[in-house]
Amino acid sequence: MFFNSLTFAIFLPIVFLLYWFVFSKTKTAQNAFLVVVSYYFYSCWDWRFLFLLMFSTLLCYFTGIQIEKSTGERQRKFWFWLSIIFNLGFLAIFKYYNFFAFSFSEALSNIGIPSSPLLLNVILPVGISFYTFHGLSYVIDIYYKRIQSEKNVIDYALFVSYFPLLVAGPIERATHLLPQVKLKRSFDFQKAKEGIYQIIWGLVKKVVIADTCATYANAIFDNYTSMNSLSLILGAVYFAFQIYGDFSGYSDMALGMSKLFGLDLLRNFNYPYFSRDIAEFWRRWHISLSSWFRDYLYIPLGGSRGSKLKQVRNVFIIFVVSGFWHGANWTFLAWGFINALYFLPSLLLGTNRNNMETAELHWDFNSIKVFFSILATFSITCLAWIFFRAKSINIAFDYIEQIFTNRIFASQYLQNQRYSCELLLLVLAFVLVEWNSRYKIEPISGKYSWLKMTLCFLAIIALGTYADYKEFIYFQF
Amino acid sequence: MKKFITLVAKILLAILVLLVVLDWGYTNVYLRSSTRGKVENVFNSKAENYDVVILGSSRANNHFVPEIFEKKGLKTFNYGMSGAHLFEASLLLKLMAERNYKIKTVILEADLGLCNEKESEAIAAKFLPYIHHSDIIKEHFSKQENFNELYYIPFYRYIDFDALIGFREMYNTAAGAPTNILHNLGYHPLTSNKRANMKNDIRALKPIRNKYYEEIKQICKQNNYNLISVMTPMCTNVKGLDYFEKANKIYSEIYNLENVVQGDQYFSSCGHMNDAGARMFTSIVIAKFFETK
Repeated sequence: MFFNSLTFAIFLPIVFLLYWFVFSKTKTAQNAFLVVVSYYFYSCWDWRFLFLLMFSTLLCYFTGIQIEKSTGERQRKFWFWLSIIFNLGFLAIFKYYNFFAFSFSEALSNIGIPSSPLLLNVILPVGISFYTFHGLSYVIDIYYKRIQSEKNVIDYALFVSYFPLLVAGPIERATHLLPQVKLKRSFDFQKAKEGIYQIIWGLVKKVVIADTCATYANAIFDNYTSMNSLSLILGAVYFAFQIYGDFSGYSDMALGMSKLFGLDLLRNFNYPYFSRDIAEFWRRWHISLSSWFRDYLYIPLGGSRGSKLKQVRNVFIIFVVSGFWHGANWTFLAWGFINALYFLPSLLLGTNRNNMETAELHWDFNSIKVFFSILATFSITCLAWIFFRAKSINIAFDYIEQIFTNRIFASQYLQNQRYSCELLLLVLAFVLVEWNSRYKIEPISGKYSWLKMTLCFLAIIALGTYADYKEFIYFQF
Repeated sequence: MKKFITLVAKILLAILVLLVVLDWGYTNVYLRSSTRGKVENVFNSKAENYDVVILGSSRANNHFVPEIFEKKGLKTFNYGMSGAHLFEASLLLKLMAERNYKIKTVILEADLGLCNEKESEAIAAKFLPYIHHSDIIKEHFSKQENFNELYYIPFYRYIDFDALIGFREMYNTAAGAPTNILHNLGYHPLTSNKRANMKNDIRALKPIRNKYYEEIKQICKQNNYNLISVMTPMCTNVKGLDYFEKANKIYSEIYNLENVVQGDQYFSSCGHMNDAGARMFTSIVIAKFFETK
């Protein structure tokens, strides 16, 4: 049940009406109802994995209480590691086992020891990386005594499995969502209106930008050997907007619909393509994951303390692990590694916190510098996206090599029966709208909101891509 | 909550109005165009006189050369459409009959298409802009699974088939952007392709007593069109060539011309002849059906 599907368009209003008109009497009724519908929502993907979700929830709930109750350090450690091992174990089995088995077998074959890997015939449970990280952060926070364990199993279950964030985040923190879950929600018109605007803008990003860019990016990436330099560059740019529109569109819809139920989720994107350096980009892209890795991996490793060598090591670890989080493929590792390389100069020069404010452009010399910094950051980001999108690292290198060696810059007719340059106008219009609304969560609110909303609907209806239907990319992670 | 429900109601109303207005706008653009495709060319036409009209899929579109018919004094147009099934061929013929086309002979490519009664989305979509302006189109689609959505929800058809009749096609139609579909009297010549796969496996195809083929026979009978149904050539390296014999067992009136052109040099791909092959084939067809008369 995708957020942009007809089934969901029926599901959401029913849940909304029941939530506010039937189950609104008490906090318990509200939470219990949301847990039930969340489990129903999850079971629509594959009901068998519902048991995995429930087990993961109960495991973290139970070990959380045990960690808090334990008097001795050994006992605390026991429950803590039990939870960590089980959670990461599920992730390892479902997401990474086949990759490691296959890679190990390949490595053996390379040194002349033939072997056939024992592969598991399992599919990846949707959202496992997201709800596992929810559980992990909760248990780690209890272990380090940052929070107290949640005693109410329904409230905790809602924190883990709340349907707007269940399958593709944002990755919530117990410190942020649990306090909201503990209170009975009252309907807030202003918040609900903001939610509606955010859902609409999320839909624009998904069906107008991401899915349309996807048809072009796929046509270029899937036939990259016959593409010229211009098409290959455009392919990378279209993929950059596809993945941004797809994931940030999903996040906008998740945040928006959560507001309809009176709950605020963590912001996940903050106009990342207007970043002036790669450090700023990572403060604005998939914020809930970046901050998760910062708080639960980078800082425990020492963060930016210690020698430069140690700092560099920490940066590489966090980026490579972040890449690997996205999927069991060398391409994701390469993508993480490349981003670490990008980050390195600013770390060594101590400029990684230079651009903390939102970028501004005026008619002055400094703005030229800002403009080119944004363009340069976007360009190197696109270069890294090639590794993310390519089927293998070799293909990614071939793709990049061809950009520089082909040197033909003419619009090409693609397999999707479109010219490669056709989409540029739409992408440019999207960039301008985003630039003008970079201080807001979405561009609809404010003056002329009805006109802007109508234009959004017009774009969704007339310019959306529907026939060539695309799933959300981040669901596979 | 009341304010919110009012807001949602207003939004829904705005969406409905947009759908209706867009539907009206798109449909009117398609109603005013007759140069970008064969379906709109027929729908927006008046009575025409033809000696020969060719119908079928790409195996008609790429195989019959009207120019050769014309040289024999036969006014001809090739209405074969790449990807079309008999569902669309039948509907196109119904529209021609409704517009009082005077046609002496209909040549129907009836071979691989006999095995299914499904619509071909890529071609069927081209009829959908006119669904509210033609009882024939409405009736033809009425048995289709998604008819209710397509007919009753404004603009749904343009969303469902956005790659075929959506914004881009509407824009190009409104702008009068040219296509080559109607060039060469509807015939689309193919060139030789050295890298083409000159083999095929059609063992999975099973010819059936086809509802739309029966419809085409009926339309021809009612309108005094002489119907010539033919099976057109394929390359030699085909597994399951007995398909054509099986089809003949069901419909003995279909002329099996599958093997009248042989040699890979006459093919662009296994199922499609190149221009040289098409010209040879057309000459054979003319000699067989028109020169003896």
